Amino acid sequence: MGLGLRWYHFALWAGFILVMALMPEFVSKGTLRTMIFANFLAIFAISWDVLSGRTGYISFGHPFLIGIGAYTTAILTKRFDVPVEYAIPAAIAMTMVGGTIMFLPALRIKGSYFALVSLAFMELIYQLVQVIRPDLTGGTRGMSGIVTLTRGAANGYYLSFSLMIIVALSMWLLMRTRLGTALSAIAMNEESVKGSGLSPTKLKLFAFMTSAFVAGLGGAFYVHYLGSIAPRALFDINFVFTIIVATLIGGASTIVGPMFGAFFLTFLLEYLRPFLPGAERYLIYGAIALLLYMYQPKGLYHIFMSQLDRFKKSGDDD
Amino acid sequence: MTKPLSIKNLVKNFGGLTATDDISFDLNEGQSTGLIGPNGAGKTTIFSQIMGEYRQTSGTIELYGTEISKLSTPARIRLGVSRTYQVPRPFAEFTVLENVRVGLMPDSIWKMITESPNVDREIELALSVGFSESDLRRTPDELSMGDLRKLEMARTMATNPRIMLLDEVFAGLTVGEIDQIAKLIQKMRSENMTFLIVSHDLKALEPLVDDAIAINYGKVIAQGSFASVISDKAVRTSYLGT
Repeated sequence: MGLGLRWYHFALWAGFILVMALMPEFVSKGTLRTMIFANFLAIFAISWDVLSGRTGYISFGHPFLIGIGAYTTAILTKRFDVPVEYAIPAAIAMTMVGGTIMFLPALRIKGSYFALVSLAFMELIYQLVQVIRPDLTGGTRGMSGIVTLTRGAANGYYLSFSLMIIVALSMWLLMRTRLGTALSAIAMNEESVKGSGLSPTKLKLFAFMTSAFVAGLGGAFYVHYLGSIAPRALFDINFVFTIIVATLIGGASTIVGPMFGAFFLTFLLEYLRPFLPGAERYLIYGAIALLLYMYQPKGLYHIFMSQLDRFKKSGDDD
Repeated sequence: MTKPLSIKNLVKNFGGLTATDDISFDLNEGQSTGLIGPNGAGKTTIFSQIMGEYRQTSGTIELYGTEISKLSTPARIRLGVSRTYQVPRPFAEFTVLENVRVGLMPDSIWKMITESPNVDREIELALSVGFSESDLRRTPDELSMGDLRKLEMARTMATNPRIMLLDEVFAGLTVGEIDQIAKLIQKMRSENMTFLIVSHDLKALEPLVDDAIAINYGKVIAQGSFASVISDKAVRTSYLGT
């Protein structure tokens, strides 16, 4: 398969999983709850990275996909008493249909035009869930009393972490194949991809579907963790920017970067809460993102990798 | 015998402008043909129509007897035709090897995932166009114009073409680089590759082609041996200005 795996890849992943698995033994329940949100944000950021980080089709409307997953399972379980084990796969399937719809404009437009159209998708679903069949969607108030899958912070943490690590590992491996190279090539020069005998349409469709699959999975489990859904919080521009900034801070087009970016951002916002309880916190994280972006546009992942390279080189010199 | 490339009555209109006007010609197996004409004559538009980047207004294009007008660019490449561009279009953040890798990829997502890259073939192609071992990890921003053209050639060759369309292959190159590219073309000619080459550098082009087609205002104005075409009065008037 040509994944180019080395022993230290296994060691780093195993070490990370081990440390994260032991977290509930060492941290408070409050910190665990923060980590649960970080896990879900990581899933959403990875979903965004597969599409926008790789292909360069910047999505400002990712909550459109997350929302389809969340609302589908919420409606099925709450309104139609469908068991969760059927509702979640159905939600993922519906999100992939949503991903295909979102893909259609990408056949003709790209760049900032696509970004704006994707934003329109989010606005569209925000308006629709409030006015179309509010008896199903809960209208502007959303829904509460949705079945939850876990009780207690530790269980919630283990579920969210398991999901996140499965998504992260599978996407990381997938993007190490030639497919990852081809998707990155689209962002660099779509015409040259075509001129190399590859179909950008096929590749983009795959990226949209994979991104939708991950967004649907994350959205569905997220709603079953929260037990409620509120359109105003879900289809919010701040939520979009949190996903994008997490990816960019961590390092777009790397899968691992968005994962770390999500943790960095979630804990940063959490630690700022006592000092800045309102939306001012977003100013601080915006400033940090800006500074980091000016220093290293490729994010924390590349800072870490360049340090690792330097360490390896100094080891070779010794 | 089926011709590798057969173009009949090719017309391309852009609004009121006729970029190619009833162009017809054939290429024989292993033949190398120069396509010459002044700027704006329609040479690149012919390439773009052969590759399916522009759809012709009327006329037919056949590759080895298959009418390709309705096929996508990747489908045409799979049939054995590939091109380079006047301005090289590398993948800016990829190394030389990764650029070549994209050309070698199968157009199947399943195979992209399950099959390993053929690194030996990538290296072989990159070295065959004149890169050294130390160039293989370089990115396009570290390459000269000559290297970028070599990279374009390597990625085009990676698609395994039987017909290569080379657009302004010598533009912006030093004498040494022209010599290097010319040797590469000669080597491929000896391996029976069919070429259609656009170049304003007639001196460099002459030894590389068996014959030539001259166009102006989208029409063929002369066709035949290179010597007869460049000495044609209409060609000299329109193209060479003498």
